[in-house]
Amino acid sequence: MTEKLSTKRNPPKWSLWFKGLDEWLLIFQKVSGALLALYLIGHTLIISTALNFGHPTPLTWEKIIGLIEGPQIIGNVHVGTIIEYLVALLVAVHGANGVRLILMQYFGWGLPKPERRTYPMVPSPKKRSQMAYKYLVIIVVVIFIVLASYVAFIG
Amino acid sequence: MGMVAKSTLMKWHYITGLILVVVVGIHLAFRWPSYEASIEWAGPHGVYEQLMNTGYMAAIFILLYAATYHAMNGLRTLLLELHQGRYWNVAVDVVIIIVGVFIVIVGTVALVGALSVI
Amino acid sequence: MSSAKADIKIEIKRRVFTFRVKRYDPKTNGYKWSEYKVEVTNRQTVLDALLKIKATQDATLAVRYSCRMGTCGSCAMVINGTPRLACETKPFELGTDVITVEPLSNLKPIKDLVTDMDDFFEKHKSVDPWLIRKDEKEQFEKLDTYYPQTEEQLLNYLEFSYCIKCGACYAACPMVFLNKNYLGPQALAAAYRWSADNRDEGYVLRLKVIDSDNGVWSCHYSGTCSKVCPKGVDPALAINLLKKSLLTGKPPAR
Repeated sequence: MTEKLSTKRNPPKWSLWFKGLDEWLLIFQKVSGALLALYLIGHTLIISTALNFGHPTPLTWEKIIGLIEGPQIIGNVHVGTIIEYLVALLVAVHGANGVRLILMQYFGWGLPKPERRTYPMVPSPKKRSQMAYKYLVIIVVVIFIVLASYVAFIG
Repeated sequence: MGMVAKSTLMKWHYITGLILVVVVGIHLAFRWPSYEASIEWAGPHGVYEQLMNTGYMAAIFILLYAATYHAMNGLRTLLLELHQGRYWNVAVDVVIIIVGVFIVIVGTVALVGALSVI
Repeated sequence: MSSAKADIKIEIKRRVFTFRVKRYDPKTNGYKWSEYKVEVTNRQTVLDALLKIKATQDATLAVRYSCRMGTCGSCAMVINGTPRLACETKPFELGTDVITVEPLSNLKPIKDLVTDMDDFFEKHKSVDPWLIRKDEKEQFEKLDTYYPQTEEQLLNYLEFSYCIKCGACYAACPMVFLNKNYLGPQALAAAYRWSADNRDEGYVLRLKVIDSDNGVWSCHYSGTCSKVCPKGVDPALAINLLKKSLLTGKPPAR
């Protein structure tokens, strides 16, 4: 071998991942998980500050929360409301999809049993119980969006 | 975290995940019926009312600890997927533990203090 | 019989397809695209077309193949965006006039469509994919006793034993892309195949590799591996079953 072998791997086919629901759920689970972890740190620190680290007064609470909420957009809705609304959506998708994975991998619900393969072969993610799980995730998220929209923008 | 099997860490990741579904659900349900009213100090459904609710505060304590574990373990998994190396792995573990302990301490101090004052 | 045979009419269709081939050049360490127009019949495969190109148009095109019938797993490549076996994919069935052919993702290139499978095979070997007995001598010396197996016990692992190590699942896996040390679907499916075999006693030995940051826990179940597998092996199911075993503490059903 005269040439040196490449040390970099062949680039991936992103189009392969962008056309499937499972792949989108994976990407969403990773990204939302990372964002929510960062949000948890910020949220804990801000609420703790608003509670004056154990010496809460109505004044400190209103001051800190007013600062975080930011300027008013319309009616009750502040910039902070929109951000919290979006974070709640991340929570909903991460939670609904997470429960699906936990029930399947921990309790084995809806996990197919190994079987003798016959043509045409259906991969396990496309089996009926697995598809039902994924549609349930979508339904739960849609219901959550309706409720969250009411709480954030109308109530 | 070489001394703990990854499956033990992940088992707790899954258990805290199930707990979080319940307590985050409670946390979000207390925004009902209006988000803006739920973050006012006084008034109906306000923060003072939430602090007085023993059941809700119990859920918040559980939420703090379960979410911290779940988030830190998840973040560690992600950071080790993005890159691996002798120093990186140790650094990730150290940072994750420090941040996790810091959040738990700050959150506990604020919540316990708030409860004892009110 | 003979009359029935005479009734079968084989219809041969011919069409010219454009093959866009992504080629890795080891001299420049870069990729370039080559385009070839070649006529194929509806009974020929992408591999046939590539070999025809090699024979009649461009002898420098590098392709790896061996059996031409989906048994050896040498000719996996990314065809129209999906990793498949070139020898089992027919241009007529792809539904496009322009067919893109690329080397497998997540593997290092050697030349053109040929990839370096060393990492892939190393990961496969790391899970000890062979029959492990507590008594090592027994299987060679006590030949009077054999290891009986029932139909049900066979079905526990049968579907995972069809793997031909072509690397299609490995190339399709988004987590292998993210975490290059991740064992990948193929190795973990092999680990399950042997651990779920009632003749095998090596599950505990494999745990060290399976139950790690780069083992099953790097899988987040996109199931792309199972969807692209040309043999219907379903590695995603094997990984989920392994996770269930690890979480509940019960070894795989055997």
